Amino acid sequence: MTYTILARCPQSGRFGLATASYSICVGLHCDGAARSNTGVSFTQGSFRDANNRFAMNLIAQGYSARQAMGELLANDPQSDFRHIGIIDREGKVVVHTGTRIAASSVHRVGDGYAVLGDMAAGEKVIDAIATAYDSMGSLDLEERLLGSLESGRDAGGIRGSKGRLPERSVALVVFGKRDFSDVDLRVDMHTAAVDELRRLYTDYKPHEAYYLQRALSPRNAIPSMEFADMLKKEEK
Amino acid sequence: MTYSIIARCPKTGRFGVGSTTFSIACGRRNESVRPNVGISKSQAFYLRGVDPLVLNLLAQGYKPERIVQILNSDDPDFEYRQFAIIDRESNVIAHTGPKIGQWAGHIVGPYYATYGNGLAGPQTVQGIEAGFMKNPDAPLEYRLLEALEGGHNAGGQATKGRYRPERSAWIRVVDRLEYPEIDIRVDLHDDTIAEIRRVFEEFKRYETYYSNRSNNPADTISEEEFSSRLKSNNR
Repeated sequence: MTYTILARCPQSGRFGLATASYSICVGLHCDGAARSNTGVSFTQGSFRDANNRFAMNLIAQGYSARQAMGELLANDPQSDFRHIGIIDREGKVVVHTGTRIAASSVHRVGDGYAVLGDMAAGEKVIDAIATAYDSMGSLDLEERLLGSLESGRDAGGIRGSKGRLPERSVALVVFGKRDFSDVDLRVDMHTAAVDELRRLYTDYKPHEAYYLQRALSPRNAIPSMEFADMLKKEEK
Repeated sequence: MTYSIIARCPKTGRFGVGSTTFSIACGRRNESVRPNVGISKSQAFYLRGVDPLVLNLLAQGYKPERIVQILNSDDPDFEYRQFAIIDRESNVIAHTGPKIGQWAGHIVGPYYATYGNGLAGPQTVQGIEAGFMKNPDAPLEYRLLEALEGGHNAGGQATKGRYRPERSAWIRVVDRLEYPEIDIRVDLHDDTIAEIRRVFEEFKRYETYYSNRSNNPADTISEEEFSSRLKSNNR
């Protein structure tokens, strides 16, 4: 009950993913999913958190995405229940959709990205995500991922046995050149988590440069309360 | 303005961090916790590269005391930094630079440190410690949650005598595996401490189910089914 887009930005080489789920705290399962200068991988269906780092370690040691996928499957007796995407440094994309996850589980593979959907409201949800991602080629990766997730929501999102289910948690993660994330935002439990992520992102984004700058130059930094007040005034 | 606790559970060796702040999405700093190595959580004008550096040094065999000297030797703004470090042997150290502004400080305990800046006063770090020690037999994540609540109830953050809200919070616990057992976040909220308790308690209801679903998917009911059973049990 999760839909996800994983991508490598062709301009910057950054890696990221955005995911929305009926499960709470889906960000827990994203731990280690993206790594700078390496790749991005995510396992849903039945989440398997250990796969994230395993895939990144395999790619880091030189395996292609395809080889890494082969090892993930060979290493997991439950691979029929997994839905996995892997993207490597070359932008190669590989997807595995296990045979024993729900029949409505589908994926799309595009140029440098993969879309995974489990119990999404049919193919139209992942098509909408892919179309949105393709249409935003000039934007930063985090904007493209967030916008794509919203398109998935608008196309019907998650469907259970009795109709639509809410997205209760989301995560948006981007890694660039450093050994820590460029972007890592989460909503862990909410009745409209994708909407909430947009609210959070909109508030967070203007702070991004400030959070970096105050550390590099603490003598000249203005207090965070003051900065937040300045932002509010600019909005008015 | 931020207050935090880092700890190594004396019974299990699990590492955990609890943190809350006025800034947005404090839980994005997951580079600060490394299983089987330790925790380095910097705050107040923090450089994000510092925590990975500290953990690399810990992994090489350096002790926290020596690491503080190393950090100090390469940082002209060391007086603006606040951090705490704990290693595999429960060696704990904390640093509160004198130029951070009032009130800032820390308490170092036998297997934990509580620390913060932009606080109502020393009562906040004392409140964190009191919350943490309230149920010493509880699993680490419960103690971290009570620690944040203790800091909040003791006055939390304040500048110029005025309470300043917590807008994000984070609890992360790791055991021996590379990925966390607990990683609960509130990234932007008006009532953050109450919200993280709400998410925490709901996560605890799902925790075993989620673990079974990952490890034994063939015998797992759908989450939709599980959720509706939870709801009818709560009635």
